[in-house]
Amino acid sequence: MVVSPVHFIAVPLLAAFLMPILAKVNKNLLRIIPGIVLTYLGYVSVVLMNRVATEGTIIEVLAGWSAPWGINLVYTPFTGFLATLMIAMSFLIWLYSFKFKQVDNQPALKYFILQMMLTTGSVGLVLTGDIFNFFVFMEIIALSSYALTAFYRDRNGAEAAFKYLLIGAFSSTLILLGIVLLYSQVGTLNMAEIAVRMHDVPTPMKVSILILFLVGIGIEAEMFPLNGWAPDAYSQAPSPVGVAFAALVVKAGVYGLVRIVYTLFDLDGTGSFLVVMGGITLVVAEVTALRQTSLKRMLAYSSIGQMGFVLIAFGIGTHEAVFGAIFLMFNHAIIKGLLFMSGSYLVYNTPNKEIKYLSGYGMKMPLISLFFSLGALAIVGLPPFAGFWSKLYILLAAADSALYGLIALILAVSIIEIVYYFRVVGRLYFGKAAEGSIMQKPTVGGVIAMSILAIAILVVGIYPDIITGYIDNAASAILDTDMYIKNVLGAVNEITPVENIIQ
Amino acid sequence: MKKVLVLLLLVVVGYSLYVPLSQIEFGTDRMGSIENPTTVGAYYLSKTPSELSVANVITAIVVNYRGFDTLGEVSVLFLAATGIGSILYRRRKEGEHSETISKPSSQLLQAGAKLIYPAILVLGAYVFIHGHLTPGGGFQGGAIIATGFLLMMMSYKDFHMNHTVLTWVESLAGITFVGVGIGGLIVGTTFLENFMPVGTLNDLFSGGIIPIIYVAVGFKVAAELAGVLDTLLSIKEN
Amino acid sequence: MENIDINQLLSIAVFGAAVGLILIGLYAVLIKKHLIKIVIGLSIIDAGIHLLFIAIGYINNGTSPIFSEKGISLVNEGVKMVDPVPQALVLTAIVIGFGVTAVALSLVIRLYRHHQTARIDQIKTLKW
Repeated sequence: MVVSPVHFIAVPLLAAFLMPILAKVNKNLLRIIPGIVLTYLGYVSVVLMNRVATEGTIIEVLAGWSAPWGINLVYTPFTGFLATLMIAMSFLIWLYSFKFKQVDNQPALKYFILQMMLTTGSVGLVLTGDIFNFFVFMEIIALSSYALTAFYRDRNGAEAAFKYLLIGAFSSTLILLGIVLLYSQVGTLNMAEIAVRMHDVPTPMKVSILILFLVGIGIEAEMFPLNGWAPDAYSQAPSPVGVAFAALVVKAGVYGLVRIVYTLFDLDGTGSFLVVMGGITLVVAEVTALRQTSLKRMLAYSSIGQMGFVLIAFGIGTHEAVFGAIFLMFNHAIIKGLLFMSGSYLVYNTPNKEIKYLSGYGMKMPLISLFFSLGALAIVGLPPFAGFWSKLYILLAAADSALYGLIALILAVSIIEIVYYFRVVGRLYFGKAAEGSIMQKPTVGGVIAMSILAIAILVVGIYPDIITGYIDNAASAILDTDMYIKNVLGAVNEITPVENIIQ
Repeated sequence: MKKVLVLLLLVVVGYSLYVPLSQIEFGTDRMGSIENPTTVGAYYLSKTPSELSVANVITAIVVNYRGFDTLGEVSVLFLAATGIGSILYRRRKEGEHSETISKPSSQLLQAGAKLIYPAILVLGAYVFIHGHLTPGGGFQGGAIIATGFLLMMMSYKDFHMNHTVLTWVESLAGITFVGVGIGGLIVGTTFLENFMPVGTLNDLFSGGIIPIIYVAVGFKVAAELAGVLDTLLSIKEN
Repeated sequence: MENIDINQLLSIAVFGAAVGLILIGLYAVLIKKHLIKIVIGLSIIDAGIHLLFIAIGYINNGTSPIFSEKGISLVNEGVKMVDPVPQALVLTAIVIGFGVTAVALSLVIRLYRHHQTARIDQIKTLKW
């Protein structure tokens, strides 16, 4: 059978439906199935990324009705890159949480099902070419996140989840309203067709719809001031879930913003808005991170700041800036992943996950402290680690557009970042450990996952060319709206399974 | 003070909703010509009786044209049931039985419930089996069946759903849906394609795979809703 | 002339009802302190939006988009069929709204178990 983008969604769904039955048969199956599914999807990603690099965008028609009458999946270099990143991170999260809740199998079953659905939702959202389908996948992500946030009994998970739910319900309300108004104007739900017909929509209506969408998706993308849910959700959820939020949910949110602004509305005027909002997000988040005493909240605010940075880069809108933005998304996923994974082990047994209890852990948990320090160095942008390149490219792009104020802002914020990250690293290596502090031994899966991430950070830092080809194609793909429209609508007159259209 | 602010906000929201809505003419035909369709609505209205032989256009949209959305919706339901199971999970102590918390109901209610219950189940089944011919379908029929279960659960203190059976029905129905979709991929050319013969309009066995999917959806929705209701009712408070 | 007036009235009534529902739901979510009332408010907002969506698809004096024998005869007489797409989308949206409400209620139950109260001002352990 030919490998095609729909496997990304059909296979995990099938597995999720099968898991409750199979778990009754053999309790160990439920841990292995996600691994098998994700490995297969990794193989699918590799095949499809190769195909899209040589043959161009892949459009998959579903249910036999081609665009714009039916739903189709659009695998461009950009969406494919994001999908591959999400699958890879999900696999690492699975490795990291393999031994999760070994004691009691019933919650573990639900945990793995929810994680797999979170992955399915994120990948589906990125690959879909239809705006209502986009909304449905957003709800899949949302519901899995609410349930996963509230997972632990003995923390404030339920409260964080409820807060998240209220804000998330608002965001889906706004997006649905946007879809209602949009449908009344253009009469279609296919994204490419909407992009074509958007020119005929009167401007006041266009503005209303844009505002509704921006605020709605901005909540998922952690844009200021809509990111109130994030620190609580990250800190109260189980640690692998925190990694999933940073690597999957937020990426999906930012992708949504970018797709709406770039493809549907063709970026007129919204670029500067994105830069401003991104800048505010960045500054507020990083300054707040400085004041945090809990490690997980600090990492959460830092994550929000990085997303602000990505928004700035997408707002600038030149090819270099978009290149830097996508590179930053990639780096953020792997570096933040490593930081969350190692950070959770560091604060596992400390009360309230406070940083001040971490003195001297550098000697007692050498490997994990090393991972954390590596992540800290990488995220502030020091060479030869991966984070350096993305920061460099974005700064270069800002220089090219003569946005010197922005450059000053970014550098100032970097100093703040260095302060609060090195505060933790310093405490790890200098300082005496308190007596009676218990170290948490990481699982084998956790060590493997963290090592893979650390190696990736080093490799991309030293040889960025491994990745830059894909990212460059991705940047071209998202910027070229006309090509997107031509690719999707070009398959109108034939009902074809997987159509490769040569660019 | 807060109330005043919120009321002001509501006025602002109301006005900002009114402005775009006043631009939309209520009741005008925005679909355009049906013979040469340019909007999706017109296209579905023109193609459904001829190509799919399904009378209920909305069913055709939900199951066939936008079947992928329905797959996502079915997974949302599945997620809700799983999420509730995970959030409300409690380690069962030895010998502890969950019991419904309803107070014992009157004789009239118990007798009446027993009488109506089979009728409700049959009505629900009728609605989802005939989803492609009359208004209704899998979701509606499943909800009706779940209401029947709810009636029994609230009238009788010891009427419970068997969660094992529910899990099996849920999973099998879900697998049927995805399986039919993959069948479309293998037998036809695309996922969820209609690969069975479509028959004639207004027949019970028309529409190819559409009735099959909708029956599976009906079972799944009934099982999931009943499971959720049962979980929410079986809470001991201490 | 008569027909146009009725349709005007209808448009005010339906759009007004949808917007009214949304505003009432919003009021409940923002002002009310009891968690269940907040969840009900969310439900009401959903209902308002669904009503709005279906109203967008309405055509004056149209009939439902079902090609039963009666439907076919109506079409042959020249009666238009209402836009089927918003109805299909609202079907999906209702189910999704149900899912969110169900999860919200289960969270309320868990919060109640933990804190013995269901009022939001007594549960604020995290910074709101």
